[in-house]
Amino acid sequence: MSERAIGFQYATVAQQREASTLGMWAFLATEVLFFGALIAAYLNYRIWLGDEFIAAASLTKVALGTANTAVLLTSSACMAMAVMTFEAGSKRAPVLWLTATALLGLAFVVIKASEWWLDYQEHLIPALNFDLARHGGVAEIFFVFYFCATGLHALHLLIGISIVAWLATAIGRGRIVPGGSTTRLVGLYWHFVDVVWIFLFPLIYLAGRNG
Amino acid sequence: MSAATIWKCWFALMLLLAATTASAFVPLGSANIVISLAIAVAKALIVLLFFMELRGSRALVRAFAAAGFFWLLIMIVLTGADYWHRTDALAPIDQVR
Repeated sequence: MSERAIGFQYATVAQQREASTLGMWAFLATEVLFFGALIAAYLNYRIWLGDEFIAAASLTKVALGTANTAVLLTSSACMAMAVMTFEAGSKRAPVLWLTATALLGLAFVVIKASEWWLDYQEHLIPALNFDLARHGGVAEIFFVFYFCATGLHALHLLIGISIVAWLATAIGRGRIVPGGSTTRLVGLYWHFVDVVWIFLFPLIYLAGRNG
Repeated sequence: MSAATIWKCWFALMLLLAATTASAFVPLGSANIVISLAIAVAKALIVLLFFMELRGSRALVRAFAAAGFFWLLIMIVLTGADYWHRTDALAPIDQVR
């Protein structure tokens, strides 16, 4: 899978770059609505169910959630460094920054999985082992949202990690030539997954932390 | 974009993360979610404008980026205009308590 600097359908590299960037943003707009529907549902239930719903959010692990937010924000900075050094014509630096990005992404998934394990032990997983008598029905509704949101986000991140690992290998082997758009587009996807988490974090982890 | 800009953005993101987590433990009533969502918007804008380079993009790219969020706003506001003001739809919800 060798990438040509410019596709046959384009007149200039700049035109190719703009068309592919626009295409990526069109895809990301659909992703905004995909995660946005979940967030709209959360807001409805939060307003309907009030304090009980907010109290259920305090059963999540705020230390792990905050650490994961820091990990993901740092991975985005590494991704920005990868795109910047790649476009400056460097070959070694983007491979290192992409490797750092993928490893931080992997760290996020490991922390998330350990949190799910704690949730399992506390009988917080709806349809698997949710303890209705202990936590109540409103908490179950919150945890349905929690697992849908964090699960779909983790799936997006796993796809991102695979693509970043592939990209690092391709750049290292010289298959991706400077001037191509692939690195920028992978960067846009990665940052978007970060933006989704930026909104999920306060809704899931910061609700019900006082009073 | 320079390395200095990227790491300044990262530093700002870390400060905002510390601020939002700290604010969640201060009892402010309904202001808590307003503050945490306002900080989330600030963090997202840093990522969108700098890391995703919307700051230097052409108007068409910015319009595509804004379209998704604009439609999301319509979805949330129109859904909320109905559900958040219903008083007679609470019965089935009460049964889950």
